[in-house]
Amino acid sequence: MRKTHSMLTVFLLFCAILFVTSPSYGADTIKIGVLYPLTGGAAAEGRELRAGAELATEIANNKMPIDMDMAKRGGITSLGGAKIELIFKDHEGNPTLGADLAKKLILDDKVVGILGCYQSAVTKAVSAVCEQYGIPMINDSSTSPALTQRELQWFWRTTPHDVTFTRDLFELLKGLSEGKVKGVPAVPKQQISKLASACEKTEWGSQVSETIDTLAKQYGFEVKKALLYAAKSPDLSSEVMSLKAAGPDAMLFASYGSDSILMVKTLKAQRVSAKIMWGQDAGFEAPEFLQTLGDDVVGILTRTVFAPKIAEVKNVAGQVNALYKQKVGNDLTGASTRAFTGIQTWVEVLQKAGSTKPEDIQRAANTIMIPGDQLIVPWAGIKFSLSKEDKGQNELGSGIIGQYQKDKEGKIMLEIIYPFDVATANMIYPFKSF
Amino acid sequence: MDILAGSVVAGLLIGLVFALVALGLTIIFGMMDIVNFAHGEFLMIGMYTALIVAQTTGIDPLAAIPVAGLVGFALGVSCYYGFIKYLLRGPMVAQLLGTFGLMLLLRNLALLFFGSEDKTIHTGLLVNRGFDIGMGIIIPATKLAAAVLAVFSFAGTWLLMNRTRLGKAMTATALNRQGARYMGIPTERMNAVAWGIGGATVTVAGALLVNFWSVTPFVGLLFTMIAFAIVAMGGFGSVPGAFFAGLLVGLITEFPGFWDFIAYITGSSWMAGISMTPFKYTGVYLAYFLIMIVRPRGLFGWKS
Repeated sequence: MRKTHSMLTVFLLFCAILFVTSPSYGADTIKIGVLYPLTGGAAAEGRELRAGAELATEIANNKMPIDMDMAKRGGITSLGGAKIELIFKDHEGNPTLGADLAKKLILDDKVVGILGCYQSAVTKAVSAVCEQYGIPMINDSSTSPALTQRELQWFWRTTPHDVTFTRDLFELLKGLSEGKVKGVPAVPKQQISKLASACEKTEWGSQVSETIDTLAKQYGFEVKKALLYAAKSPDLSSEVMSLKAAGPDAMLFASYGSDSILMVKTLKAQRVSAKIMWGQDAGFEAPEFLQTLGDDVVGILTRTVFAPKIAEVKNVAGQVNALYKQKVGNDLTGASTRAFTGIQTWVEVLQKAGSTKPEDIQRAANTIMIPGDQLIVPWAGIKFSLSKEDKGQNELGSGIIGQYQKDKEGKIMLEIIYPFDVATANMIYPFKSF
Repeated sequence: MDILAGSVVAGLLIGLVFALVALGLTIIFGMMDIVNFAHGEFLMIGMYTALIVAQTTGIDPLAAIPVAGLVGFALGVSCYYGFIKYLLRGPMVAQLLGTFGLMLLLRNLALLFFGSEDKTIHTGLLVNRGFDIGMGIIIPATKLAAAVLAVFSFAGTWLLMNRTRLGKAMTATALNRQGARYMGIPTERMNAVAWGIGGATVTVAGALLVNFWSVTPFVGLLFTMIAFAIVAMGGFGSVPGAFFAGLLVGLITEFPGFWDFIAYITGSSWMAGISMTPFKYTGVYLAYFLIMIVRPRGLFGWKS
């Protein structure tokens, strides 16, 4: 009897161990490695990006009342309802660290693919690692045009790049001289022909600087000064003095988080300004920019891919924005919408591939077409180019130019100025001096 | 013309703060021939002290300067008694590596406690204020206050070193430690005081800087390099040397403005098209290099 008891006990213990250690036979999870600058100078944008990616994952993994296919499935149905799991790593804006972390994600965490990395210099390094290991990478938020001119086989970019965005700027300037801008009578071109740019000097900023130079020539504008500065520079007074010396009609900036704030503060301290003040997204549309500088930003233009005003005209954007605001406390920004769209693209690619094998994902990415009505950004859709000149670039993306304006209640928000046909307010021109 | 005048004024103002940063380094070197690689990290601690005091108590960052000074003094003295005293017994290379290690320790502790994000003061009595002195020159109030307080700190240190018994005892220790000890001067304590004063002056400089300069755990490196250049130019151990070399270095960092001015008066479009701002610190290191070759003891150096 005692022997039977002992055997029964051993059997039960064995069953218990089996029960505890047996794998779950529920839906699998699909790991996506996400590399963002969560600390360092661009940490504010990093937080926005992370929040956008997390919200998209939440919507993809659970059925939600949002007018988007991803929200109705509750997982990747072609993979047995598999859920997305994001593994975040902080690259601090450092390309070498980014490349190391990408290797860790691929080799140790066995991720199916990568999303990131915001700073173009980091994206460049990380995409090289992905290419080496044959792991798909979707880039949601880096805009250096050179990134898709390398004919990489494992790299796709959803966001439009800086040639598109900078062309928007010159179209705006041209429109200004032709009287197309809402609320502004035609301004003689010679009054806005002198430009000066100040761009941070890594991959992204230096490419923006070059693009401004090239397009200025095409559109018949003169770049009086094009200066590059270190984004980590703690003092920008000599840069501002140099801009002042150029005496431009329009000042154009490509700055990350803390340097965009420092730049405007220094401009204000030196009372230097121009008729047009334009920022190439990034720091200029981060929530901290507005929170820190307050009224000083009124009249500053920034290119972006999203303005909360879009939520009023695009239903799906409004639904997601409401959820985001509830979760994070502020409206969606260009950074968070692009991260959201990056994850959404990953979900749709996996759904189409029906497999986690790199080759199947590659095939799906190369042939995917996500219609514009599925997206929260005002694009015609997502379809990646297969041409050598712009391999992996989304062909259907577009940008907008917003201007910080104060409404009747004293709240400052981005009003859409360009494209002209969707402008939500009269443009403030010229920029009031600081 | 406003470009030239603006650059000169900006250069002199920042030069005074640079000089104050270098003062502590030169005092410590003058006393005991030890190069403190962690000097920039002391500055970083001064910046964080002022920032934290201002943010937690709600007082103006300027009012946090005495606190930063006290923290710097305590840090300097404790570093001396807890660490440097033992290093002095070793060879020169031990002193170099020792203070280098201290630099790494302080920097990484700051990373641990404060993270790597930039932190900036956005409010304060002087923040975002400026004086228009004509000719299109606007002096930011924060930089003016920093420069004026730097002059006072310099004057105070000079008086302490030259007009008090303590200063004379410190000078005696610097000139001949053994002789000073025979005369009854507690040389050990004098060394500690030198570290204390060195720490206090640099943390005060940090508290002045934080009004217009963002702080990260890595901010010290730039200032250590600048302070080295100033001390080398002014002469190791020389207080007036640090003052004048600081002004010179401040002017050198504004050379992009002079470049723009020359481009403007000569009407040279190729000069105007070239941006010199990325090279603003290159001139400083170049001057450092030249001084080390031409006059290794510096402009006012009394130690060969």
